[in-house]
Amino acid sequence: MPIKEYDVLIVGSGHSGGMAANRLTASGISCLMLNAGPEADYEKDRTLKHAYELPYRGFKQPGRLPHVFQANEFNANQWVDEKEVPYTHPEDAPYNWVRVRLLGGRSLFWARQSFRLSDFEFKAADIDGTGENWPISLADLAPFYSRVEEIFRVTGRKEGWPQFPDGNFVETTFPPDTETIKKFTEVATKRGIGVSKWRNALGQNGLASSINLLLPDALETGKLDIVENAIVREISVDKNTGLASGAHFVDRHSLREMHVKAKVVVLAAGTLESTRLLLNSKLANSSGVMGRYLVDQMYGVSVVASVPEARDGKARPGLMGGSAFIPRFRNLTKDDKRNFIKGYCVSIGSGGGASPNLFPLYGAELQAKLDSYEGSCVSGGIFGERVARFENHVRINKDVKDAYGIPVLHIEARDTDNERNLRRDAADTIEGLFKEAGWEIVGKTDEVNPPGYSIHEVGTCRMGNDPKKSVLNKWCQSHDIKNLFVVDGASFVTAGWQNPTMTILALSMRASEYLAEQIKQRNI
Amino acid sequence: MKRRRFVQKLLAAPAIPLVAAAAQEAPKPPLAPPPGNPTAQRTPQQGQAAPRLDTVAADVACEPDRSYFTPEQFAALEKLGDILVPPLKGRPGARDAHAPEFLDFLLSVSPADRQGLYRHGLNGLNAEAKKKFHRLFSELDSQEADEILRPLFVARPWDQDYPADPVKKFVAQVHEDLRSATMNSREWAESLAGDRQRGRGFGRGAAYYWKPIDPVVRS
Repeated sequence: MPIKEYDVLIVGSGHSGGMAANRLTASGISCLMLNAGPEADYEKDRTLKHAYELPYRGFKQPGRLPHVFQANEFNANQWVDEKEVPYTHPEDAPYNWVRVRLLGGRSLFWARQSFRLSDFEFKAADIDGTGENWPISLADLAPFYSRVEEIFRVTGRKEGWPQFPDGNFVETTFPPDTETIKKFTEVATKRGIGVSKWRNALGQNGLASSINLLLPDALETGKLDIVENAIVREISVDKNTGLASGAHFVDRHSLREMHVKAKVVVLAAGTLESTRLLLNSKLANSSGVMGRYLVDQMYGVSVVASVPEARDGKARPGLMGGSAFIPRFRNLTKDDKRNFIKGYCVSIGSGGGASPNLFPLYGAELQAKLDSYEGSCVSGGIFGERVARFENHVRINKDVKDAYGIPVLHIEARDTDNERNLRRDAADTIEGLFKEAGWEIVGKTDEVNPPGYSIHEVGTCRMGNDPKKSVLNKWCQSHDIKNLFVVDGASFVTAGWQNPTMTILALSMRASEYLAEQIKQRNI
Repeated sequence: MKRRRFVQKLLAAPAIPLVAAAAQEAPKPPLAPPPGNPTAQRTPQQGQAAPRLDTVAADVACEPDRSYFTPEQFAALEKLGDILVPPLKGRPGARDAHAPEFLDFLLSVSPADRQGLYRHGLNGLNAEAKKKFHRLFSELDSQEADEILRPLFVARPWDQDYPADPVKKFVAQVHEDLRSATMNSREWAESLAGDRQRGRGFGRGAAYYWKPIDPVVRS
């Protein structure tokens, strides 16, 4: 007894689903959004507490969320419970899959760094001599980036560098650089390394999420219904046409099984959940590459230095403080011969203290050291690009099911010498710059967190012009099923070093407006 | 046969239709409140606030039962607390913050690998103290304890990077845990009252805690 038939079913409510709902409803298209979790109430569900008021004194509850390094006892309830929705990985290849199922998804908690990909990423195969190019270029996506940047109110400093495309930034004045940032910039510039500033989405009222920037307008049209706690089990298919016809889902509380009909299905459940859903539905994989080319970025490499003249309480404001940002600078020309392809960005922060683990000391001796170094430290960390490889993949593990009886994902991703060489180069380069600035190195590591930790997982349904090598076309539309779209990060061909949110939003906007036009033209 | 069943049905039917009968029934009065507790069935309505009373955490008022570590292991843990996180500059030390008692609880509910790390580490310190000084680790003076501990400390450029040697790994872990348990304690928070530098990092000031959001209850 279907109550209503919608034009479009959207699975997921994060940035990509929110953008799809926003653009489709603006064209008068009726949408139903299914979200796997509940809506959080910032007043009712959140409260101020001291660590000692919590059951485990601020320690993470032992055994809970073992793969979510970002979790602590304060925020544990915001993440997907790994026991409720588990996944598997080889014992020797841990993977950190960090998920949020609240309405708005991970758009509620993202770090707001807002970069465009450049043609060094879109046309990476031409530069690296390996892999595949995207079927689009920066010129195709630039108009959409501009509109997304306007909605999200992105700040940034224009540089005119091809590997760091400028955007439609809100007007901002950057405070003058402190002496340490100036010194670092001088040293880096001498080596031909460009130093810029972070690019940050201001959003509105402290939030840059789909729940405040995208979904309210969609609801206002009267064309969007949102159902929370709806866990999609399978995409349904019309046996006569082979087209997607809706989805089967289960209610999170009652476990009641439901079905919804729709003329078009748009997946926006987050890279790996969308792919899991397609694999469980056994759909749209004539290419055989669904689940393949999983990729993200490396976080962990860091160098910490202390500025001698800032020690022992002399870290005055004009000397310390502030930040700098180095976009990718490796492998931009054919002359730059390295023992790795791709590149990394470097984030510099000035004015912090040293962590206790940096010193083999304890008690009063450690405290004296920490006090002496307080405020005198400069840190450098990277986001390094991993290479998209066929071997790094996800597949369904039929032997393990989640709390709703849905088979889970098995994730297998490993680094190679390319990743190891890249991060060694990063640690050595930052160390060299800090030493040249005259600072004392107090910590250096080229180790990284497990894949997935960056929460920037992309790929597994990559786009392309060749249906034999890709799952989606350049409009994020399935090659096999024309009324099926995947508008989250699953369509990425390469990860880049950039935080992916702006690109996901721009791709979703572009795909959704294309879809609206196709519906209007009755092509779908 | 068919006709007989039809007649039986007619005979069994009530004289007036059921819906009409229900309509004729007088409305039932609301259930009376249970005797002796006239407000038991009532709750404040929208706009009627109920008072919020102050409560205290159990460990403000009560001593925890200690049950996980053996007396020798716990004494070694207390000694580690005294040496690694002593009271400094008006801040409580590990013992003031009851950090060893808290870790006794935390370890009792921890995964087996963490429990093994602690047990092996504490036993290792006691064994080394007996070998070198013929006493338990808890009975050593600070110079003797330092002689055992100092070689076990290594700089870790990355906080996730623990040494492979199990005793060194334990020392790195217990140092981190004792510091966190101390700095996250009520005693530490109270020592910060009026301190202008408070509020940096979890535990030093209050932070947003997300309660369970629309939790699922299964029988």
